[in-house]
Amino acid sequence: MKIQISNGMFIAMILNIMYAKAIGVTQGVLARAVGQDMWLATLLGTLEGIVMMYLTYVVIRRTPDKDFVQLGQLLLGRWFSSLIALVIFAFFIVAFGPIMITFVYHLRDYFLPDAPLWIFVVTSLVVGAIGCYYGLEVMGRIAMIGLLFMFALNVLITIGSMQEFDIRNLLPVMESGLPRTAKASMHYLADCAMATMMATLVLPLVKKVDIGNGRFGVLGIIGSGMMIIIWAILEGAVLSSEVTSQYTLSCMKLARNAHIGTFLQRYEMIMIALYSLPALFEVMFCIYGTSVCISRIFGIKSNRPMIIPCCIVLGVFGYWIIEDHFRAIDFLENYWPFIALPVAIGLPLIMVLLRVMLGSKLQKKSA
Amino acid sequence: MPDVSEEKPDTIQEELKKSVQPKLSDNVAVMEAIMGQSVDVLKRDFMLCGSTDHPGAIYFLDGMADATIVDVVLKSLITYGSERKLDPERLTTADIIRTELMINASVKPVEHIKDAISAMISGDTLVFIDGVEQGMIVSSRGWKDRGVEEPASENNVRGPRDGFTETIRTNTANVRRRIRDPHLRIEPMVIGTRTMTDINIAYIQDLVKPGLVDEVKKRLDGIKIDAILESGYIEELIEDSPLSPFNTVQSTERPDKAASALLEGRVVIFIDNTPVVLIVPTFFWQFIQAPDDYYNRYWVGSFFRIVRYFAFLISLLLPSIYVMLVSFHHEMIPTQLALTIASGREVVPFPVLLEALIMELAFELMREAGLRMPKPIGQAVSIVGSLIIGQAAVQAGLVSPFMVIVVAITGISSFAIPSYSSSLALRMFRFPILLASGTMGLLGFAATFFALLLHALSIRSFGEPYLTPLSPYRPSDQRDMMLRAPMWMLNSRPGFAQDQDRMGHDQMPAPPKKDGSQ
Repeated sequence: MKIQISNGMFIAMILNIMYAKAIGVTQGVLARAVGQDMWLATLLGTLEGIVMMYLTYVVIRRTPDKDFVQLGQLLLGRWFSSLIALVIFAFFIVAFGPIMITFVYHLRDYFLPDAPLWIFVVTSLVVGAIGCYYGLEVMGRIAMIGLLFMFALNVLITIGSMQEFDIRNLLPVMESGLPRTAKASMHYLADCAMATMMATLVLPLVKKVDIGNGRFGVLGIIGSGMMIIIWAILEGAVLSSEVTSQYTLSCMKLARNAHIGTFLQRYEMIMIALYSLPALFEVMFCIYGTSVCISRIFGIKSNRPMIIPCCIVLGVFGYWIIEDHFRAIDFLENYWPFIALPVAIGLPLIMVLLRVMLGSKLQKKSA
Repeated sequence: MPDVSEEKPDTIQEELKKSVQPKLSDNVAVMEAIMGQSVDVLKRDFMLCGSTDHPGAIYFLDGMADATIVDVVLKSLITYGSERKLDPERLTTADIIRTELMINASVKPVEHIKDAISAMISGDTLVFIDGVEQGMIVSSRGWKDRGVEEPASENNVRGPRDGFTETIRTNTANVRRRIRDPHLRIEPMVIGTRTMTDINIAYIQDLVKPGLVDEVKKRLDGIKIDAILESGYIEELIEDSPLSPFNTVQSTERPDKAASALLEGRVVIFIDNTPVVLIVPTFFWQFIQAPDDYYNRYWVGSFFRIVRYFAFLISLLLPSIYVMLVSFHHEMIPTQLALTIASGREVVPFPVLLEALIMELAFELMREAGLRMPKPIGQAVSIVGSLIIGQAAVQAGLVSPFMVIVVAITGISSFAIPSYSSSLALRMFRFPILLASGTMGLLGFAATFFALLLHALSIRSFGEPYLTPLSPYRPSDQRDMMLRAPMWMLNSRPGFAQDQDRMGHDQMPAPPKKDGSQ
């Protein structure tokens, strides 16, 4: 029986895969690039993300039961499907770097400074592997619960930050100008890239995807934008862009700053506990993405045998990235967007072009 | 006396394959070969209608058959025919004897020895008459059983006090009395090659999801075992996730709970010789719900349900959170509280994880000891254990007062969970989370909690996701999950039931309007 996930699960998965990195690490990068206009960059990134997600939907619209790899086989044969699988595999390997930066630095720098790095990598991979082993349906369900956690986290941070909220910190608006803000938005768009690449594998498994006109993916990006822009506004208004730009994990600074009354002066641990689920979901999906792609390359029906080998590869790369803070930040700001965006935009564009060129061939094969 | 060793099992198997013979002596010989010299097997010879030309014999088990019914059987066979001047020559078939002579309510002809023996060892009376080709089974089951009492492990304040007993028919009757619906089906089954335990599968035909009953029967049919001594045997052999520590089959001793499950479209499995019945499919949230939730007003029901959810979280997580905070993240504790905890731990020589493990294990030890000991001593041990030993341990500086409070609250919370079996599972889950939190702090806590959550999300009970209706989310079922909505809002059954309508619409009561209309 073919596994199917509901539209709600798909939307929740998009929110989960984007949220953890975008609320803190990305906002720090944006603050360094465009100051208090970081919320505008997030907004622009959301609009760009909508286009990117819709493009992904356009690729599979006519063949809603085929993911990119299967569609590649239909278009140009086995070698092309393997090439696509390899590209997606490489994407998720590289994406694991920023994900590990987000997850490990949050926990290590703020909660467990003496713990060795490998513990964070191994633990997250073990939980991710368990989720991946249980399959996409379970991952979709945990994403739904992750959505609840994200709501709770947003409510907590809003309540805890309102006392120090100063709208003047967000002024003047568009000080950096549209071109710079648009350029900075690519950092947020790189987060959307993770969601669109997830859609390349998952979209055909979404129930009634063909009758939704791509609205579920688009709704996911809009929902993510709404959830994340709250943080962009709060970080700008409460911390100011100058302070935000000083931190790799600006969301943690905001979380530490938050307090409810005089007794509950610090509750960032509760927030991090809530935050861990989306972060672990990102890890889980990286394992899923890589294991599915590599099993397709080798012609293995189930992705389960590939989970452990993929975990090893991901773990080695992730450890290498986070071992050195400078390397991590350099990778995050100067390499990640330039790897993620060409893949996330280029791959759907190539597929759309091929569909146009080979439309008649595709119709014959589908028939 | 014949040597017991002569009764070889294969000989008995051969005898069991035989059919009932017209000649009484043949049947008697077979019965003796099979049952041997068992003292509880009683044989009583008689003459049909007092005629010496028509000898017969009845067999029954002492203690299993009701002696008054056996007397009625004998009276029918010996005196009733002669009183009515019936010609014994006419009584040549089991059917004629049943219709013209026997006055017992249930008399069935039997052709095979195996069926005859099976009925007799279940408490029925077996009748053989010379010249009649079939035997007869007269229903005479009746033995000393425990009366209907309040279930010890599922108490409530408001609601019925009756519980299931060890007799399957009493149990089915208890449910049937509550649901006088002709759609209620109770199907028989026998499991266990040696115990031949009676199993009954109950469901309401037009409510149960199509295929569910077949699946239950298929799983029960698949059980090949020599003995079923308690419902736990069946539970472990039919559950979806046998390696999971979560209970995916609900058990109860309460007839009202079983009736409620049937009305929700679920299947109830009765097992003879145990007061515990099984309910499938099962969802995690049911373990937090209690019958009182529905018997009290919805405000009260909802409030105590929320209290139980808190109790569930406390019993699962409180020691882990405490250990994690004190060991790794003390800066997260408000200053005054941190100072209080630190002063209490000043003289304690153990790390907080070890202290927690010792206390948790000591608590489990006291609970287990209190359970196994004779009741009056058990209570004393619990009180002495919790009060005196706890106090002494604090004074000796072995544990901190705060840890005693944490463990006590955790223990009390675990008892607030209505389902005893699931509270046991919860107690076990505490330890891996505690160990992970005590060694890896927040990372270990989050990782083990989410791994557990992932596992719970992955399991099913008879094809239904275990965490339904939260995940997958079923909006209509939310009215009876975290909170218990008013009765007039609970107008539909759970999503998996076939017939959704439970009650008419607009059932919300209201006082009459001024013009007298309703």
